Amino acid sequence: MKRHTLLQYAARSLFRRAATQRYPAERTPTPERLRGTLHWTPDGCTGCCLCSKECPANAIEIITIDKTTKQFVARYHADRCIYCGQCVVNCRFSCLTMSPEEWENAALHKQAFTVYYGDAPHVERVLEGFVSQDSASNPST
Amino acid sequence: MDTTVPQRFVVPIGPQHPALKEPGHFEFTVDGEQVTGASVRLGYAHRGIEKATEGRNWVQNLYLLERICGICSHVHATAYCLGVEKLAGVTPPPRAQAIRVLVAELERIHSHLLWLGVAAHEAGFDTLFMYSWRDRETVMDILEALTGNRVNYSANLLGGVKFDLTSELTDKIYKGLELLEERTYQYVDVVTSDATLLQRTRGVGVTTREQAEQLGLVGPTARASGVERDIRVEAPYAAYPDFPVKVVTATAGDLEARFVVRLQELFEAYRLIRAVLEKLPPGELQARMPRKIKPAETVSRVEAPRGELFYFIKSNGTDQPERIKVRTPTLCNLASVCVLAVGSQLADVPMILAGVDPCFSCNDRMVTVYSGDTDHTQWTWKQLRQYGIDYYRR
Amino acid sequence: MNAIQDLLTLMFFPGGLFVLALGMSYEWIDRKLMARVQNRVGPRWFQPYADIAKLLVKEEVIPADSNRLLFIALPILALAGALTAALYVPLAGFDPLYSFKGDLIVTLYLLSLLTVCTGLAGANTTDRFSLVGATRTLTQLFSYEAPFLLAMLGPAVAARSWQINEIIADADGQWLLIVQPVGFVVALIGLLGKLEIAPFNAPEAETEIVAGALTEYSGRGLALFRLGRHVELVVGLTMVAAFYMGGVSGLPLFVLKTLLLLLILVGIQSLVARLRIDQTVGLWWRWGTLLVLAQWLALVIWEGVQA
Ligand code: SF4
Ligand code: SF4
Repeated sequence: MKRHTLLQYAARSLFRRAATQRYPAERTPTPERLRGTLHWTPDGCTGCCLCSKECPANAIEIITIDKTTKQFVARYHADRCIYCGQCVVNCRFSCLTMSPEEWENAALHKQAFTVYYGDAPHVERVLEGFVSQDSASNPST
Repeated sequence: MDTTVPQRFVVPIGPQHPALKEPGHFEFTVDGEQVTGASVRLGYAHRGIEKATEGRNWVQNLYLLERICGICSHVHATAYCLGVEKLAGVTPPPRAQAIRVLVAELERIHSHLLWLGVAAHEAGFDTLFMYSWRDRETVMDILEALTGNRVNYSANLLGGVKFDLTSELTDKIYKGLELLEERTYQYVDVVTSDATLLQRTRGVGVTTREQAEQLGLVGPTARASGVERDIRVEAPYAAYPDFPVKVVTATAGDLEARFVVRLQELFEAYRLIRAVLEKLPPGELQARMPRKIKPAETVSRVEAPRGELFYFIKSNGTDQPERIKVRTPTLCNLASVCVLAVGSQLADVPMILAGVDPCFSCNDRMVTVYSGDTDHTQWTWKQLRQYGIDYYRR
Repeated sequence: MNAIQDLLTLMFFPGGLFVLALGMSYEWIDRKLMARVQNRVGPRWFQPYADIAKLLVKEEVIPADSNRLLFIALPILALAGALTAALYVPLAGFDPLYSFKGDLIVTLYLLSLLTVCTGLAGANTTDRFSLVGATRTLTQLFSYEAPFLLAMLGPAVAARSWQINEIIADADGQWLLIVQPVGFVVALIGLLGKLEIAPFNAPEAETEIVAGALTEYSGRGLALFRLGRHVELVVGLTMVAAFYMGGVSGLPLFVLKTLLLLLILVGIQSLVARLRIDQTVGLWWRWGTLLVLAQWLALVIWEGVQA
């Protein structure tokens, strides 16, 4: 292990690559565990609402389309989510994942932060307001 | 202007001031460059978190409390988890406890390096500031790869932890530690030998052992004055009984000693992390937790990077806590600034302030003093807003 | 015809705008080198221009309880002083535009004008940070000014002239820093103090007193002060290079020598912590002044023996 005085080190730094980056042009790959935007797949979801019940930010809602055939739509509020990952741990059917790629989540309008997941016709029905919007577990929304 | 009465010249530092990264308010009465009086006012970043916990369930509170502090978030979550687990009578598996210690020590490294940078910046030593923050990226990257986030790692769960170690991660940590260790030697060298920096730190803000005990200092600030105070040793928690800590102390009590103690603690953290990685116990990551906890109360203490962090938790048989009380280390240390600042140079005040590694928003609290004659009507939002407008229009 | 030519020389080249551009380029080099030492990318070449342009278009807020006239006049005076000083030094390797007997003294005083104006500007407001900053600026001025002056007069004594041109001609390409090393070091470090850069940046220590004397300045006034600072950087570098490093005839030589000096300045600047104002004063009076005086004495005796 070579040790340098600060002067030597500073002189060497002059010829080293900068530690900072010109961000949008250069970027470091994200680690695979990075907690980015939440994703939900309807396959296997039982509607147990364990994810939404313990979400500290009330950021995910499971909207029931048809209870008996287990058809649900998930409404995700990316602006409220604090990316804690509790919902992913809670879901026993691996319906929830957090994408390590999607972390640049800025948007110009608020609508971009409300994301619907589920089968397209179901989502459409929710958007058109045919389904009662409040889910049992989330009285605040 | 009446010139016969000596004018009090007050230099305010805060609530908005470049020396403070968070809002706090200090008023220093100066005579030329000499400080003759000091007072502190807190509460600018009061967020009402303690009250907010009472309306959330045990799991949700974990994440709320983790956000008390952005720098030492993991210790808050750990203190809370340990307390709640004690209440519920759950023992988390040993592997989980070891990983908690691992993350806690990584966090200590990041916090101390951050402090080194801030303190160097206060001393006007920007190159040291840039270097230490650059090297801090190493440990931030490790934490990000390990837990998936750079701050607020949320590695804890009630009853265990979320993340396991993989062999790649272990390699990454070893590699990172090697780099950091080499750099830390240089930092120790700089803070103990750089003439200009020593002019600003040696003999400045000296806290004697007696003073440290009287003022109730905690953490590295106390240890720099020779007080052996470390929860990891006095009341080992999590996996610390299996991975004993050697307390680092210094005797001088000045700013240089605080630099040295924090840097030596880095070496101790490197050693601990290596020990944990070598002897990581196998097994589960999480024990089952009940949703509701029978009425009981407990305290939980952990050693945050800044000193002792104290939690009082009271349950009432539901899935929500009855009361949670948090005391952060900064609250214990902050009073010493007012004592030390008096008699020192104005230029040294930011250094003395930085020397305790203050963290304002996590310690901010509201105290209501009821005395008989004040009327304490509640203001509505509208009144408050109008008051603000009138105040600034003046 | 002559008047127009004079005007052009003064306004554009090699006075006026050219000096400003040169000043900003050196400022950029300073910042870039600093960034590289600190392992950062650093600003791009137009950053100083962008900064100044931004400040110039911003609204200037004049504090209610300060003297309006002074508040506006001081930055102008400061910049004018620095720009005038630039006329008497061999900037960019050209011969000084104007030269007369004793112009060395005038130049040195013009260079101090910036600091004095900064101090007055701080004292003109009632802002507490400004007042502390002003006190520190002026205290510092008194501590480094005398040694700096003496250090600059060293070569003059050797040349027995108070005229910048003649001093340089007399040195005749010899590097005076070899015979007057103390003077060189003191001049260089005095320059650090003059420009209020680390370790002598206590007057504008942002972690203590925000921006020091200039805390209340925004917009145009701040831009002018900063321009003055940039110009002073080049003028100071030019003078030290010309006196102690064997003259700066020709652009390549000028650039080479001043950049070398700048590199040394950046090195010092990046490797030290800020000194407290009492430490600054102590350092100058205990070491700077005494050393320079000792060298002076030696110089005078030597000259006396020769004569
Ligand atoms: S990551 Fe956390 S905040 Fe976001 S939806 Fe899941 S539980 Fe809620
Ligand atoms: S926890 Fe999983 S299964 Fe249960 S509602 Fe949420 S996504 Fe569906």
